[in-house]
Amino acid sequence: MNLVALAGLILLFGAGASLVARRNSFRMAWPLATQFAATVLVLFVALPVLRSGVTLDAASAWSYPIEVLRRRLDPLGAFFLAWSLPMTLLGSTYAVGYLAPHLKSGRNAGAHFALLNMVALSFLIIYTADNALIFLFGWEIAAVAAWLLVIWDYRTQKVRFAGFNYLVSTHVGLFVLVAAFMILHSQTGSTDLASYGPFLSRPSQLRSVVFVLLVTSFGFKSAFFPFHTWLPRAHAAAPAHVSALMSGVIHKAGLFALLRFTLLLGTPEPWMGWFLLAFSAVSTLIGVVYTATQRDLKRMLGYSSTENVGIAGLGFGLGYLGLSWHRPTLVLLGFTGGILHVLNHAFFKCLLFYAAGAVYRAAHTVDLERLGGLAKRMPRTAVFFLVGAVAIAALPPLNGFVSEFIIYSGLLSGQAPAGIEGILLVAVAALLSFVGATGALAMVRAFGLAFLGAPRAADVHVEGDPPPSMTAPMWLHLAGTIVLGVFPASGLLLVAPVARLFAQSPAPVGDASVLPLLAPLRVGNALLLGAVAVLLVATWSARRAARRHVTRGCGYTAPTARMQYTGTSFSAQFAQVFEAFVLELRREKLPDGYFPQGEAFVHTHHADAVERRMFESLGNGEELVRGVVGRIPEEPRFSFAAGLITLVVLVALLGSHTGGAP
Amino acid sequence: MTLPWTLAHLVVLFASPILVVGIINRTKARWAGRRGPPILQTYFDLARLLRKRPVYSATTTPVFWVAPYVLLATAAVSGLVVPLLGRGAPLSFRFDFVFFAYLWGLGRLALMLGALDTGSAFEGMGSSREATFATFIEPAVFLCLGTLASATGGATFAQMLSFHGVDPAMVVVRAGCVVALTLLLQVESARMPVDDPTTHLELTKVHEVMILDHSGPDLAAMEYGAALKLAIGSALLASLLNPFGAQSPRWVVAAANVGLWVAVAVAVGTIESTLARLRLNAIPRYLLAALFGGVLALLASVWRAGGAT
Repeated sequence: MNLVALAGLILLFGAGASLVARRNSFRMAWPLATQFAATVLVLFVALPVLRSGVTLDAASAWSYPIEVLRRRLDPLGAFFLAWSLPMTLLGSTYAVGYLAPHLKSGRNAGAHFALLNMVALSFLIIYTADNALIFLFGWEIAAVAAWLLVIWDYRTQKVRFAGFNYLVSTHVGLFVLVAAFMILHSQTGSTDLASYGPFLSRPSQLRSVVFVLLVTSFGFKSAFFPFHTWLPRAHAAAPAHVSALMSGVIHKAGLFALLRFTLLLGTPEPWMGWFLLAFSAVSTLIGVVYTATQRDLKRMLGYSSTENVGIAGLGFGLGYLGLSWHRPTLVLLGFTGGILHVLNHAFFKCLLFYAAGAVYRAAHTVDLERLGGLAKRMPRTAVFFLVGAVAIAALPPLNGFVSEFIIYSGLLSGQAPAGIEGILLVAVAALLSFVGATGALAMVRAFGLAFLGAPRAADVHVEGDPPPSMTAPMWLHLAGTIVLGVFPASGLLLVAPVARLFAQSPAPVGDASVLPLLAPLRVGNALLLGAVAVLLVATWSARRAARRHVTRGCGYTAPTARMQYTGTSFSAQFAQVFEAFVLELRREKLPDGYFPQGEAFVHTHHADAVERRMFESLGNGEELVRGVVGRIPEEPRFSFAAGLITLVVLVALLGSHTGGAP
Repeated sequence: MTLPWTLAHLVVLFASPILVVGIINRTKARWAGRRGPPILQTYFDLARLLRKRPVYSATTTPVFWVAPYVLLATAAVSGLVVPLLGRGAPLSFRFDFVFFAYLWGLGRLALMLGALDTGSAFEGMGSSREATFATFIEPAVFLCLGTLASATGGATFAQMLSFHGVDPAMVVVRAGCVVALTLLLQVESARMPVDDPTTHLELTKVHEVMILDHSGPDLAAMEYGAALKLAIGSALLASLLNPFGAQSPRWVVAAANVGLWVAVAVAVGTIESTLARLRLNAIPRYLLAALFGGVLALLASVWRAGGAT
């Protein structure tokens, strides 16, 4: 544990050194070197904890409000540390290349890199804190550092707005968290997380309140629907590595915290599991519908974060249900699937954001309607994006499929009590399959339109693949995505010790039900890859004799690149079905007359209808209510309904008051 | 699965696409009053394509020529999971049907990317439609397969599909699944009334329009992969309808399966000859029928569970 504290000091020193260094090269070198040192130190501590499953505890005296500074590194914290720190280091490495044009023109890199160090430090604090105040401290460092990182391009008003939006949202979440901690403190008189266990493991009304508050707050952090509204803006505005780190790594702290408190919760009540399941199901559904309709590549990836935390949340919800029904298999499958998805998402989401950043660097736009044919100019970036896209669409043989497969097997395992519960789980599985298919649509759309075909806009000039400092992190993420997918058991090495914590059985009984499940997948993957390789080799000679020609125009001889399908047209039929959620904003000036003169244009954009309507009804709630109330005396249907509702409420109140209702 | 049965499975798997397509085409010809092409016509077509030299559009990237083989590989591997001959498949494991559905998803992704790679407006149109229809059919299929899994207590295709005796609730569950899988078959292998495999108008096509630019061995891989998916989908329906369960000898189950397989192919040909293609914007509504089938199956499974306890 002292090594972890030492790592923290090293990181702080690196941040300070970066601020005072005189030249940009030193301002970047100090944070990178200190992050590397800290990562090595932390892995030195965390990996043995993960392997042995032994929890490390440490305590030291501290000044007044905290008094005893307790730190605790269990397999859960060790698991999150084991990939968060290396990925932050990769993100910082990527930043060197990504920010290079800005730095050449004289921007000071010191603050930005110091903040990246602070992000790494906040992980050390959050994942090892065993004290509510220290936890909040780390939470706040992460939030403020992320905000400052987002507004790197602070001269643009849009970026400042996105940053401020994020800052406000994250602090609303913080208030909710503080409220939960205040209740906990009032009940236990302590700020140690461990001392909340006895209170939280006894069912009571207050426990339910605390649970809802905690889930809300962590939902804000991880951008669950409907607390996601800051996310697409912030991701579109931030530099690519910051978007990647926020989406893949920093916001996983919300899920970590949820898991941390789950461990204290003992046996949850069934409604908690259903609550979590419903919350996640709605998140993943809405997230994926927006992912499929966005035209800004980075906004799209932002929405897909909401989708993916939802999928992880489905796993956790399933685990909760398993805990309350006392079904260890379900607990194990749910939590293993959910936690593995967190890791997988970190791998492929960072990869996708880095690739999108490379596109932005090369083309200076990430608008799908203006890109096209990038694969020819930036072949390596195309490979990175394609692999990330296949993984995030949860298709075999890559890693996204492995975690979803585990979640499916939990949902369909028939472990639920017979009756309505089983049905609901099957329905959730159907929902997950819808999310999978829509995710595939979104990724085909993103990759196919941006990287394939012909360039759509003549004024977009593409520079080519990014420098090695940007490709190196992508190669590593690519390798992780492939290894975790092709060898499905490899992810379990990291995840199994964590899942065992939840199954409340020290013996590795549980692994028995996950490992054999995944072993055949490796055979399937091997067959698939083998078949593709054999087929490609067998047809190699035929392909070498191939001729080149223009694309078939079906009789039309003067096609232009503008005739290709665009992002909007690709998802038009899908968006039509979901028009309640996907608001199409249209600006157009159509040509008129038989011989149109002058310019004509159509500009479409899919807005977040849920966000708009939600804020509209929150902001103008008074007027909305007044409008409805005003119509009651006018329309007989309304007055009848109002009377009926009043009657039901009255009867319910009377019933509950006299104790007549059960 | 024993070695002889595995070999038989493989032979049947790789021969079936040609035969199933042949039977469908023969049925269609008979309905139209023609003699029709030989049953093995697809084989001759593929052999001809394999001898040809491919032509690539100058717009395309390697994605274009990798895609057909990914499609074919996913179709072939997915065929190892399905109990073509009833009871058991060479690659049978718990929740193999999830793997199956996602393999088809990967094949679809390859097909769509290959189409988008040409930069043709027509092919973009086809892949947009394919992607949209897939999102509507997928939940229905999972509702059905999930219901079958929970109703039969099995977790592999072979266990789920095999006959478990006459039980009114189970009959409803299976009927719902038959509806959903039929629609899956129509969407995935581009059959009527969702898509017309023989139309000449590009604007109305879904699957055919995506392979406009493929030629030579690549086109052969595409065609064979699509036929393989058609055959596998028909085999799924056949094993779902198979009335011989665990009590019957193995060869009886296999023979019944093959017989039903032929019947399904004839039915597909008949539907194709007697129905017109739906309007494109009516298709999402048509696909809702699959969802209803799934929901029906799900509700019936509760009825069954309620009866059991």
